[in-house]
Amino acid sequence: MISVKGLRKDFGDVSVLRGIDYEISKGEKIVIIGPSGSGKSTFLRCLNLLERPTAGQIFLDGEEITNPKTDINKVRQKMGMVFQHFNLFSNLSILDNITLAPVKLKLMTKDEAQQRAFELLDRVGLRDKAGAYPAQLSGGQKQRIAIVRSLAMNPEVMLFDEPTSALDPEMVGEVLSVMKELAEDGMTMAVVTHEMAFAREVGTRVLFIDEGVIKEENEPGEFFGNPKSERLKDFLSKVL
Amino acid sequence: MAAQSLREKFIQDFLTDRRWHFITDGLKTTLIVTVLALLIGIMIGIVVGIIRCAHDQQKGDLRGAGGIILRVLNLVCRAYVTVIRGTPALVQLLIMYFVILVSSRSKVFVAVLTFGINSGAYVAEVFRGGIMSIDKGQMEAGRSVGLTYVQTMTNIILPQAFKACLPALVNEFIALLKETSICGYIGLNELTRGGDIIRGTTFDAMLPLFAVALIYLAMVMIITYFMGILERRLRRSDIR
Repeated sequence: MISVKGLRKDFGDVSVLRGIDYEISKGEKIVIIGPSGSGKSTFLRCLNLLERPTAGQIFLDGEEITNPKTDINKVRQKMGMVFQHFNLFSNLSILDNITLAPVKLKLMTKDEAQQRAFELLDRVGLRDKAGAYPAQLSGGQKQRIAIVRSLAMNPEVMLFDEPTSALDPEMVGEVLSVMKELAEDGMTMAVVTHEMAFAREVGTRVLFIDEGVIKEENEPGEFFGNPKSERLKDFLSKVL
Repeated sequence: MAAQSLREKFIQDFLTDRRWHFITDGLKTTLIVTVLALLIGIMIGIVVGIIRCAHDQQKGDLRGAGGIILRVLNLVCRAYVTVIRGTPALVQLLIMYFVILVSSRSKVFVAVLTFGINSGAYVAEVFRGGIMSIDKGQMEAGRSVGLTYVQTMTNIILPQAFKACLPALVNEFIALLKETSICGYIGLNELTRGGDIIRGTTFDAMLPLFAVALIYLAMVMIITYFMGILERRLRRSDIR
């Protein structure tokens, strides 16, 4: 479904990604871990071109999204993204946050979008917040709304960039459980996280990115139970 | 001349020969010039401010014809802001009246155009500051759900930026109102010159100038009052 070939990204003189090749199939849940500054967030942000790759190609369903001729806005409609800092539109109510894109992009009428928004709000148990503004919500609530906002576009893939890193510990669970449900529904997901339990439980593949390359990659059991590289052993010994 | 009582002075300054007309007609002219100049200034300011921001924000991917156009526009805008902010408004007014629009018969037109162009440079910087102050996560979130740059700007960034720069914008409005007093230099009978004409006729300086000062003060207080109401209404989304 997503195919990455020779992906490189430089920021000025700094090489953050130094050649990444990877395939994500439909329905997979890819969990990306690694030390900070390793390039894992940059990798994720390259997948929907929030960062423009310096070199390499990315394909979504066979279409090369790194081709300048591709309409990136169309591609992004199929790829939801959830950010570390939620990034809810702070000038809009929760309901408007969710319905803005489907309505402005003429994918749904206002009524359809609102109906869909309420369905999704029910799923995350936040229907009563529809009229509130983002500033009135807790971190965990904001992140659940952010997930709903992405889902309102009916994406094929969901990208999560450290979705629980900015949350108070007691709110991590509510966000992770929404993500788990999403995974059970068969959503294709790529998740950058430090939640090792989540990686083990939900991930179909786990990637260890370090120094801009995929150092190791495996299914979760082998990945955590039998790490091959010294670097990963060292990393896991510190975080587990 | 025998010493006049305040009452006699008042009658002589404002009532004899219906001299108060100099003040009211002047006030009318001042308001017309200020409001029209502000409208022009805001229009120029929005366009210039957005061009400058679009250029700075998209530095990374300025490619092709669009990139070149944006670069050229950005240079033009920077030159405009530099020249306008670098020269006194009075000099600009005199140049406009005696050099550029020498054939124009309407002094109001000359004043409106001069102050509109002058104000545009300051408003552009105010808007630029407002747009730059918005967290870049807001733009990223808008783009990640598939909205275009323009859609994200108009629905998310500009409403927030407008709220952020409202105090500075009102500041500019107030400065503009008072700065139109230099229009006397091209013989436009605005408020200040109205008072000055009375002073020249009756040889009493105090009352006409105080009256003029008082009217400016009252107008600024009215503007401030309405700005307070507007701000309170815009603050709705900040309620916690």
